[in-house]
Amino acid sequence: MFELSTHIPGPRQLHEIDLSAYDALYLGDYTCPLYPGNFSRNIETLSPAVERLKSMGKRCYLSLYAIPKDSDLVWIRELLYGARDLPLDGVEVHNMGLLGIVREILGDIPIHLGVFGNLYTHETARVLKTYGVERVFPNAELSLEELIYVRDHSPVDVVVPLHGKIPLAISGTCFVTDYTGQVPLHCEESCSQGHWLTHEEWELKSIGRANLSGKDLCMLEYLDRLVQSDLNLFYIYTLGETGAYVETAGRVYREALQKVGSNGEVSAARWLDQLRSVSHSGLCNGFYFGVSGQEYLSPQTLSPIA
Amino acid sequence: MTKLMAPGGTRRMAFSVLEAGADTVYVGVRGWSRRGSDTELTDAEVQDLCAAARAQGKHVRVVLNTMPSSTEVPLLLKKVDMYAGWGVTGFMISDIGSMVQVRSHFPDITIHVSVGAGLSNALEVKFYHELGASVVILPYRMGIEDVRAIKRSLDVGLEVFLFRTENLDGIVCPGKCTMSSYFSSNRWLDNEGKDYFYGSANRGGDCLRVCQVGWNATVDEHNLDGLIGLKGNPKLWLQELSDYIQAGVDYFKVPGRDRSDELVRDIVSFYRHVVDDLKCSPTDEVTARYDLELQELKKRWASERRKRDDRLVARAKG
Repeated sequence: MFELSTHIPGPRQLHEIDLSAYDALYLGDYTCPLYPGNFSRNIETLSPAVERLKSMGKRCYLSLYAIPKDSDLVWIRELLYGARDLPLDGVEVHNMGLLGIVREILGDIPIHLGVFGNLYTHETARVLKTYGVERVFPNAELSLEELIYVRDHSPVDVVVPLHGKIPLAISGTCFVTDYTGQVPLHCEESCSQGHWLTHEEWELKSIGRANLSGKDLCMLEYLDRLVQSDLNLFYIYTLGETGAYVETAGRVYREALQKVGSNGEVSAARWLDQLRSVSHSGLCNGFYFGVSGQEYLSPQTLSPIA
Repeated sequence: MTKLMAPGGTRRMAFSVLEAGADTVYVGVRGWSRRGSDTELTDAEVQDLCAAARAQGKHVRVVLNTMPSSTEVPLLLKKVDMYAGWGVTGFMISDIGSMVQVRSHFPDITIHVSVGAGLSNALEVKFYHELGASVVILPYRMGIEDVRAIKRSLDVGLEVFLFRTENLDGIVCPGKCTMSSYFSSNRWLDNEGKDYFYGSANRGGDCLRVCQVGWNATVDEHNLDGLIGLKGNPKLWLQELSDYIQAGVDYFKVPGRDRSDELVRDIVSFYRHVVDDLKCSPTDEVTARYDLELQELKKRWASERRKRDDRLVARAKG
């Protein structure tokens, strides 16, 4: 058994995208509270989204803003009070200040530590468990070996991102409004556009308050190794992506995981072609193999992960 | 009483900032701080420095603020034990689990939560305080009102940088950026088994400042004019210094482990005079008297920063 999850930021994506490939959804864009209709900010959009997804048999995790200032804590509290009666399965937190608030308002709901929670060690996972953290997205810089070590030496579950643009940096201000001169609060159009940053061979994607890897993390060719390592919580980064991207990546990985799970033949070439068709700048393995994040290594050159 | 904390990026810098009036000197040690080895001290140099600081009634802090691997935590504790034995009275740490382990094994040691922990609100300060932090280093995006609010509600030490971005929101949050290692990373182990993670801002080695190159921006295939940077450059500051002293800030931190020994010595000497004068007479007139001198230091600071950024970016491309 495995779980495949992703984020959906707001109602537009919920209604326009076929989410059938995903078992669970993280609701909201944790990078920017101003994102139109953001589930992380608006109980009015969150409530019907949870209802709709539950009727589809999905697990729902509320994703909270990653870098709240004191002034943000007011509306985050209001959101959580509004969410008390919703059948949420968990809350994603990137900020240690929110751990206590979630506990105070939502009781013992499972807390998931987000990627900007900066988890690097099993010792940190052990500490966070005492605050209600049941599941962690380790920092993207961890190798698979380190990630498995955390899983094996702490009482928390570890999520393994399989695909998509890696969140590399987050900011309290918006990169896009900074360089386009557009006024925040009127940024709906900006957020619907594709923003790319290039310098010689280097490439990044901007989604406003976060910069993502230009290349897509792709672990399709390593799925059998991941499954053999008893990893089963899988995730696809899709913030800032088109509906076609969310659907294609979800479908490919669901098919591939089912094949691997049933010891079937993995037709990697066909699936890789599909993933490349929605990729802007190619594929990489992120930091999983201990090299710089933008490299892609052939499975034939690597020894077993664990 | 607000103390002045200054960097020791080299042995010479460490000794000279104590002479110039720093109350405490902070030093990185090979492989364990968020800088390259050329701005970190050897263990033998740390031991010498401890003896010199002790003779002057001053303190040494060791920066162990890389995000370690799980398997490196026991080595971190061993290092803390050794440095504490030499007279180091406190450590800067980013990793929560490591911090809790250090507190558990060394109940009397001073622990500063590094800016690498990436705090953003008062509840986070409370979280770290409950886990045993003695002092919390505030990121630039937290201003004087945050300091006052925290001091009203918590008995925790606060440390404030003497440089900051002009937009207090910051551009990239400290401790929340892995752009450098995405583009360039190199790993090696030293004799003790420490992984250097060169190229990672969080894990050690050097941040290779990829944010500082000129980036072309494209919006839906349309190129925008000009080149953009991805991170504001913090600058030395004076305004509101008096307010911070009165709000009860425990440490002012002079930056610059990777600047020249001479520049850092001059900055420390400068702020020593300013802080002492403000303690006698906390007025804007006092800070105004120092403004010209500040402008000169800012120019030297910016000039050295550009050279450093060029050097590091070249390494990233190499």
